[in-house]
Amino acid sequence: MMLAKMLYFFKGAWRNICQCPLLCLAAVGTVAVSLMMVAFFGVIFFNFAQLTSHWGQQVQLKIFLEKAPDDTLLAEWRRKIEACPEVESVNLVSSAEALERFRKRLGKKADLLEGLGADLLPASLEIGLKAPYRNRSGVAAVAETLRQHKEFSDIRHGGEWLNRFDSLVSLLKLAAVILGGFLLFATIFMIANTIKLTLYARRDELEIMTLVGGTSLFIKMPYIIEGAIQGLLGGLLAVGGAYLIFRTFLHDNLVTLLMTMGVGEVMFLPSGFQWGLVSAGMLLGVLGSLPPLRKFVRMRA
Amino acid sequence: MIRICNLAKYYETGAPALTNINLNVSKGEFVYITGPSGAGKSTLLRLLFCGTSPTRGQILVNGRNITRMSASQIPYLRRQLGVVFQDFKLIQTRTLMENVAFPLEVQGIRRQEVAKRVFRALQMVKLEKYLKKYPLEISGGEQQRVAIARALVTDPLVLLADEPTGNLDDQTTLEIMELFKSANARGTTVIMATHNLELIRRHPRRVVVLKGGKIVEDHDTPLSMTASAGQVERSLDS
Ligand SMILES: Nc1ncnc2c1ncn2[C@@H]1O[C@H](COP(=O)(O)OP(=O)(O)O)[C@@H](O)[C@H]1O
Ligand SMILES: [Mg+2]
Repeated sequence: MMLAKMLYFFKGAWRNICQCPLLCLAAVGTVAVSLMMVAFFGVIFFNFAQLTSHWGQQVQLKIFLEKAPDDTLLAEWRRKIEACPEVESVNLVSSAEALERFRKRLGKKADLLEGLGADLLPASLEIGLKAPYRNRSGVAAVAETLRQHKEFSDIRHGGEWLNRFDSLVSLLKLAAVILGGFLLFATIFMIANTIKLTLYARRDELEIMTLVGGTSLFIKMPYIIEGAIQGLLGGLLAVGGAYLIFRTFLHDNLVTLLMTMGVGEVMFLPSGFQWGLVSAGMLLGVLGSLPPLRKFVRMRA
Repeated sequence: MIRICNLAKYYETGAPALTNINLNVSKGEFVYITGPSGAGKSTLLRLLFCGTSPTRGQILVNGRNITRMSASQIPYLRRQLGVVFQDFKLIQTRTLMENVAFPLEVQGIRRQEVAKRVFRALQMVKLEKYLKKYPLEISGGEQQRVAIARALVTDPLVLLADEPTGNLDDQTTLEIMELFKSANARGTTVIMATHNLELIRRHPRRVVVLKGGKIVEDHDTPLSMTASAGQVERSLDS
C-alpha cells in the first residue's frame, strides 16, 4: 500500500519533469551553480585548514645563528639547552644543509636557486622536544626559558604565527558560513520561483485535485519529490563539476601555492562534505518547493 | 442531508452575495437552484463543498457542521460529494480514464478496483470506448459526461452541479439531464444550479429561486410543469 503510493508519487514527479524539462533544467542548474560555489570555497578552505594542522605537527624550535659556532662553543650551548627537561635533542644545521633542504622542497623548481651563494641561508640549531611537549604550548614554554640566555635571543618558533593563522582560518570559516547561508537562501528563492512557474502552468489541475478530495499532502507530494530530485541532480552535478574543474585547473595551481608552504598533497573535498553538498541540494529542492505549493494548493479560495 | 441556517456570504469586494439563507434538502431529493446571473447560485454551491467560507451561519451536511471544518478535513467531505461545473474542469493532459480515476486514486483505492469502477462509470455515460482519449479530442457534451462520470465514480451522497448544461446544446442537455435523473433515482441527492427555465419546465423538480442573494421562492412540492415554471418566471421578472 505504502509502496504503491510512493510509486504513484514518483510517477507523478517523473511526469512533471517530462512535461516541463526546461524548467526542471533551470532548477537543477540553479542548485548546481550555487552548490558549486560552495564546493570551491570548501576546497580552498579545507586545504588551508590542512595546512595549519600540518604546521601544527611540525612546530619546532629553531635558533638562527649569525655564524656557525666552533666545537667548544657548540658543546657549551648544547649543555645549556639540554638543561631544559623538555629538550630531547639539539642539532646543528649548517648553511649548506639548509640550502640543500630548501632545494629538495622546491623539487622541479630547484633551478631557481642556481648561482646563489652557499651561505644564502643562515645556520641554525634545531631543538627537538620530548614527545609529551611536542605541541604549541610546549614549544612556547621552552622558547621562553631559552630566551633568558642572551645568545639565544634569535629563537624562533611557529607557534605565535600559527595562532594568527588560526584566527585567519576561523575568520574564513565565519565568512564561509555567512556567504554559504546567503547563497543557500538565494537558491531557495530561485528554486521557489522556478517551481512557481510549473505550478502556475498546472493550477487548473491542482484545483481539480483539491475538488475531488485529494489531501493537501497527497497533491503536493509529487512536486516535493520533483524538487528533491532536481536538488539531488543539482548537488551531484555540483560535486562532479567541481571535481572536474578542480582536476583540470585548480589542482596544479594549489599544489604550487601550497608546496612552497610545506604541504605536498592537495586534496579535494572530504567525502563527508561531498555527501553533505548532495544532501543540501535535496534539502534546497524540497524547501524551495514548499512556499509555492502552499500558495497554489489551497482548499478554500 | 443538508441543512442551511442563517447563511450569509459577503465577498471582500462588492455587494453581499448571499444574505440569510435557510434551506433544508432531504436525502434523495433533486433540487434546482435558479435565479438571474449574480443571484448567488455559484456562491451557494461553493459554500456547500467548502470552496469558500461563509461570513455567517451554519451548514450541516449529513449531520456534520462543515462551516467550522479545518482545511485538513475538507478533502474527506469532498469525497462524499460529486461536483460538476459548466466548464467541465477536466485535466487536459490526462486521458479520460485517468481523469475519472482521480477521485479514487486520491483515496488510495487499489488499482484493480479503480480500473473496474472507472470502466463502469464511463460505461454509465456511454463513453467506455474513449478510455484512452484526451478531453480535447471529444465534444463538449462528451467532456461533460466524463466530468459526470468522475463525479459519480465515488458513489457520492450529494451531487452538486453548477450550470452543467450552460455550454451545451438542447440534445446534449437532455442526455446530461438523464444522467442526473438516473443518479438521483439510485439515491444520490442532486443540487443543480441553472438558469435554464426550459430545462426546469421539462424536468420538473423542487425549485429554489435566488435573487440578490435571498431565497425568493421555494416550490417544495413538485407542481405541475407549467405552474412551476410560470411561477418561477414571474418571480424572476418582478
Ligand atoms: N470570488 C468572488 N469575489 C468577489 N465577488 C464575487 C466572487 N464570486 C462571486 N462574486 C459576486 O457575488 C455575487 C454572486 O455571484 P455568483 O454566486 O457567482 O452568482 P451566480 O452564480 O448566481 O451568477 C455576484 O455579485 C458576484 O459578482
Ligand atoms: Mg454562477
